[in-house]
Order: sequence, then structure tokens, then C-alpha cells
Amino acid sequence: MKKRKFLIAGIVLFAAIGFLAVMAFRGAAMYSYTVSELLEKGDAVLGQTVKASGEVAPGSVSYEPDNILKFVITEGGNQLPVVYQGVVPDTFVESNEVTVEGQLDTSGIFQARTIMPKCASKYEPE
Amino acid sequence: MAQVGNFALILALVVSVYSAVASAVGAQRYDPRLLASAKNALLAATGLISLSVASLLFLLLSHDFGAVYVYQYTSRDLSFPYLISALWAGNSGSLLFWAWLVSLFALVVTIQKRTANRELLPYASSVMMITQAFFLILLVFVTGPFARQTAVPPDGMGLNPMLENPGMILHPPALLAGYVALTVPFAFAIAALLERRLEGWLPTVRRWALFAWLLLGVGNLIGAWWAYVELGWGGYWAWDPVENAGLMPWLVATAFLHSAMMQRRQGMLKVWNMSLIILAFVLAIFGTFLTRSGILSSVHTFGESSMGPFFVVFLGITLVGSFGLIYRRRELLKSETEIESLVSRESTFLLNNWLLVAATFAILLGTMFPLISEVVWRTRIALDASFFNQVGVPLFLAIILLSGLCTLIGWRRASPGSLARNYVLPFLAALVVVVVLMVAGMRQWYAIVGFSILSFVLLAILYDWLRGTRARRRMRRENYFSALWGLVMANRPRYGGYIVHLGILLIALGVTGSSVFATEKEATLKPGEQMTINRYVLTFNGLGYFQTPSREVVTASLSLASGGRPLSEMTAEKYFHRTYEQPVTEVAIRSTPLEDVYVILAGWEADQTTTFSVLVNPLVSWIWFGGAVLVLGGLLAFWPGGTPRTPPEDAEEAAK
Repeated sequence: MKKRKFLIAGIVLFAAIGFLAVMAFRGAAMYSYTVSELLEKGDAVLGQTVKASGEVAPGSVSYEPDNILKFVITEGGNQLPVVYQGVVPDTFVESNEVTVEGQLDTSGIFQARTIMPKCASKYEPE
Repeated sequence: MAQVGNFALILALVVSVYSAVASAVGAQRYDPRLLASAKNALLAATGLISLSVASLLFLLLSHDFGAVYVYQYTSRDLSFPYLISALWAGNSGSLLFWAWLVSLFALVVTIQKRTANRELLPYASSVMMITQAFFLILLVFVTGPFARQTAVPPDGMGLNPMLENPGMILHPPALLAGYVALTVPFAFAIAALLERRLEGWLPTVRRWALFAWLLLGVGNLIGAWWAYVELGWGGYWAWDPVENAGLMPWLVATAFLHSAMMQRRQGMLKVWNMSLIILAFVLAIFGTFLTRSGILSSVHTFGESSMGPFFVVFLGITLVGSFGLIYRRRELLKSETEIESLVSRESTFLLNNWLLVAATFAILLGTMFPLISEVVWRTRIALDASFFNQVGVPLFLAIILLSGLCTLIGWRRASPGSLARNYVLPFLAALVVVVVLMVAGMRQWYAIVGFSILSFVLLAILYDWLRGTRARRRMRRENYFSALWGLVMANRPRYGGYIVHLGILLIALGVTGSSVFATEKEATLKPGEQMTINRYVLTFNGLGYFQTPSREVVTASLSLASGGRPLSEMTAEKYFHRTYEQPVTEVAIRSTPLEDVYVILAGWEADQTTTFSVLVNPLVSWIWFGGAVLVLGGLLAFWPGGTPRTPPEDAEEAAK
């Protein structure tokens, strides 16, 4: 009898947590592409918030007035121009790997909402 | 020196493998000579790995840039403490540090005087030596810290300037030592399974588990503080995979420390406890794997990594081996008693354990999801921080609420009358908090629920202390203060635990305040111009510039005022190091118990038009203060002695 009570309590609990996870998943999930994959998708990703990652092309970074940052990320021989406005993380350096989050606009420019450079000291594959 | 270090590693590997085998065989055949030889081998391995660490330190301190590791992580202008910290700054160095800590902990375990569970030592040290050998294999065959390059450059590449923070000296070693300390409880658990001695082995590992828990807690907190003051984005926790890797074993260790109490008191949850220890150890190894194998960026980089497969094999063997062993010993792991009632301290402990493990799995799932989706659906789907917040926050609030409920609930079976009596005060406090906050105009229901839960738990703990103090005062005719002191000192693990709970409450207060009520504002100002944020007025006074031998610094000075009253001068800076491409943003923080004003220098133009990002983060200081309380409570519980012979509740009941 007691065992059944605990079993029921457990099932209810895990159902609740599962429900929580599914609800949270809906708002938080986002496709994550490399530059080549993103360009391959083409129009299908227009207006969708996605992540794109590649290397910051050397010489492409330009800081413009109003705290606007323009740069190009490359991966697999493909290039993606990115525009971002806001605080630039310290780890954002040319030739470093970066993930940008935002939307691709009709002119083929990626409007980034956040930029997340990969922290070289933390993730160091060998 | 490099050859010495490398040779010591190879020799240490041989000796560790010998010690592992000799311990296991010696234990099986009851051969004291073989066991003695295994013990000597263990001591020798500790000596050899220490020699290897010493030679790496020598290379670092003598600026021997012919060694690749020294070249990659240091430079001539690096100060002494950071030269030492370069030991764990890089991949192979941190693995060497791992192996060294395993060998030191194994040494402590071996030479510790123990009255109980001596029989478990051979198998336990065998498990520790296998773990040690695993890291030595990586160091010898995959990523050696002693690799040399033919050309000797005049200077090194230098430590990433972002790592030049006191956090770097404390955070990685604390976290790594926490990971490694989990090896000891795991080793004893496996030994107990192998020896079929499943009674009374838990007290032997309790202090090691507590030690690991404390180190992981300290490591995570320092990491959060470091991120807050150094990374310059205004937050302290981003649910970054590396952060999650440190949090998950801590959560499981927390669950273990609580469920171990139930096994000791009532002989329950034996399989569960075993599983938690194994899980904590696996998560510790997994954390190292996650950060070091490159698996996070993509399955493909993982395929290219040379270290990844080693970890997968080791983790696989550990998981299959340990859970297989539990299955084979299932008859010996039966519970002696059942939980008597749904309304009892036991069931709150059990529920809390479930929630802690569920939170761990949710975090694990979220961390691994890009990888899982890549394997299953061939597309990477990333989850942002909102996933972790939405799943984590309700779970953590429930866990905190339960910690308050369990404080005032009796073991075995609680009568409704005593429950009503005990809970009336905390419940009223929670109610008062809700009413006051609503009247004050707060409408963020997450914060209202959070604050009321926190006050409920706080009152529950204080009420429990008051009860204990009163009982002791009556019995011993002491005054309140010495009664409270005596109460705490007579049962340090218990009251240390409550002090930890108080620390958690303070941390939760800070997290709730800063996550629900943070304000952020960006402003572009010319010198002399002002911006306002909440009740504050910031006046930009102008840019400055100066040079030091190692860097150029741009400073922006601002005056902070509120209600016409000047509060403080703030300087936000950006450093540009000569040897390192990456700039370092030094934020300006004015911290008060109520809130922090956090100013980031975002950018500037030739005419001194400067952009700032300003945040007001309420209650953040309570996180750090709560962290200190948590450490204090943990140390109190960890300190030897102070455990009463009769379980305290029984004594209390007898006193009534």
C-alpha cells in the first residue's frame, strides 16, 4: 500500500518534470548551423532565429559608429557577413571561432542578436 | 628536466598498473606480502608523479620556452602566482594535475589510521590506481606536457590575460580537487561491493564526499564570482557546458550526503546510495571529458580528437562495471526497513533526492542536446539559457522548500498535531512576506513565491534552533547563548548542515533578486553628459589613456549619484596587452548589500563619444556572502569529532 503511494508520487513528480522540460524546450530550442549549412538552407531560414558558427575572417572586422560591429564569418569556404550592435565580448578576436545568434535577412546579411566567441582556454580539443 | 618529468610519468604508469593489479590479487588471495608491495608501489607512484609535477613547475619558472607547454601558456612578464597557475591552465597540465591529486588522495587514504573497514582498503586503492593509470595513459600516449620544440623562441605566447585574475589561482584547482576527491567514495563503494561488506562502510566515505562537495561548491562559487567581475557581461552564471560540468557532480554529491544519512540511520536506500556515488564519479570524469575532448563543438571535431575515445572507453567500463556489480550484489543491498509514512522526514529526504537527481538529468540533457540532436536527427539543435532557467528554477525552489519542511518533521512518522504546531510560525512568516511584497507593489510572481519560500525555510531553521536551545537551557541551566553554542558544538555535522542551508538561502536570495529585477541600459555619451538608470544618475567625465610596460589602458571615468547626492567615482577600463591580441574589459562595480551598479565600457570614438552598458543588479552581494556562510557550515560539518553517540532526535525525544 505504502509502496504504491510512493510509486504514484514518483510518477506524478516525473510527469511534472517532463512537462516542465517540454514546455521549456519549446521556447529555448534553436537550430544551430555552420556557415555552409546555413547558406545551403537558403530562403528556408529567412526570419527564423538560428545560430551560425564559423571563424571570424581576418581583416573583416570593422567597428562603426553607434556601437555597430560588422564582420564576416567563414567556414568550409563559404562566407557570411554579420552585423551586430552591442557590447563586444573580449574573446571576440579575428581568426577565432564564433557562434552568432540571430536572423538572416533578405539581403543575405546575418543580423546578430548575440555573439558568442568560443573561449579558447576553456574548450581546447586535442 | 623535461626528460626527467616524462620518464617519471612513464614509470608512474607502470608502477600504478602494478599496484592496481597487486592490490586486487592480494586482496583476493589474502596475501599480506603482495598487499604490502602494492602499497609500496602506490607510494612510489605518488613520488614519481610529484617529481613530474615538480619538473613541469621547474620548466615554467625557469622560462624554458623550448618546452611547448611553457611556450603556449606563459611569458617572461608573467608574475609568479600566474606562472604556478599555468600548471592547470592548459590541457595536458590540468590532466597532470588530476593525476597528481589522485595520487595524493590515494596516499592520504592509505596512510590514514583507520579503525573500521580496513578490509576495504586493498580494493579501494586498486580502483584509485586504475583511475590514476587512466590519466597517466593520456599523459604518456596522447598529450604530454613535456613535448619539446626544436627552435627555442625568445618569449612565450603568454597566459590569456582574462585568466589573470585571482579566480584563476583558486577556481580550477578547487574544482579539479573536488572532481578528484569523488574518486575516494567511489573507490570504497566498489570495494564494498567486491568484498560483499555492505554494512557500515558509509561513515568511512562521508568525510571524503563532504570534502569533495565543499571543494566543488567553492570552485563553482569562485567561478561565478570570477565570471561576474571579469567577463564583463553582467551575469555570473550562463549555463555554459563548462559551468554545468561543475554543477552536476555537486548536485549529485548533495543528494548523496543526504541519502547517506538515511542509510546510516535506517538501513534504507542502499542501491540508491551506491548509484549516487557512481554517478557523481562518472559525472566528474565526464566533466573533464566534456571540456577537454572538443565533443561540444560537434561530433566531427570529436572524431578528430585523440583523447575522446579514451574517455568514452573509460566511462563505459566504469558505468557497465559498477552497475553490473550492483546488480550482482542486489540481494545484499536490500533495504532493512521501509519508509513508514508519507509524512515523515524520510520521505522528504527521498523526494529531495529525486528532485536533485532530476535537476541533474535535466541539466545533462540540456547540455548534451546539440549533440544528441546531431546524432539522431542530423541537425544540431541548441538550447539557450532559458531552458535551464525554466526547468531549473522550479526544481531548485521545490528543493529549498523541502529543506524547510524536513527541518521540522520527525523521523519515521510525524503526527498531524506536531506538524501544525511546528509549521505555524514559518507559514505565518511566508504569508507576511507575500502580503508585504504585494502591498509594496511587487507583481513578479516568481520573486514573490521565491521570497516567501526563503522566509519559510529561514524561520523553520531558526525555530528548530530555538527549540533545541530552549531544551538545552532547561536541562543544563545555561544562558541562551552558551546553550546555542553547546547545541551546535555537540552535533557539528547536523548544525553545520543547517548553516549550509542558511548559506543556500542567502545565495537563493541573491539569485532571485538579481535575475528577476536586473535592469540594463545602454547609453552613448559625450563627456559631461548624463544618463539615468533606476534611481541613479551617471555623469561621464571623460576618457583617459595610459601605458604600462605590458599594456595600454583606456579608462572612462564616471560619477555616480542618486537623488542629487554623490555616491562614488567609477572607472571602467579596457586593457590592450602587447603580447596578446585579445582586449580585457575591466568593469566598474559599486556594490552595496541592496544592489550593484555595474558599468561596462563598450566602445568609443575619436571625439570621445563613448558607449556604456550599465546594469543595476539587486542583491548580488548576498550570493558571495551566502557562499562564505556555506563554506563555514561545510567546514564545521567536516571538522573531525563532534558527532553525538546517540542520534540527536532520539535524545531530543527522550528529553521530552
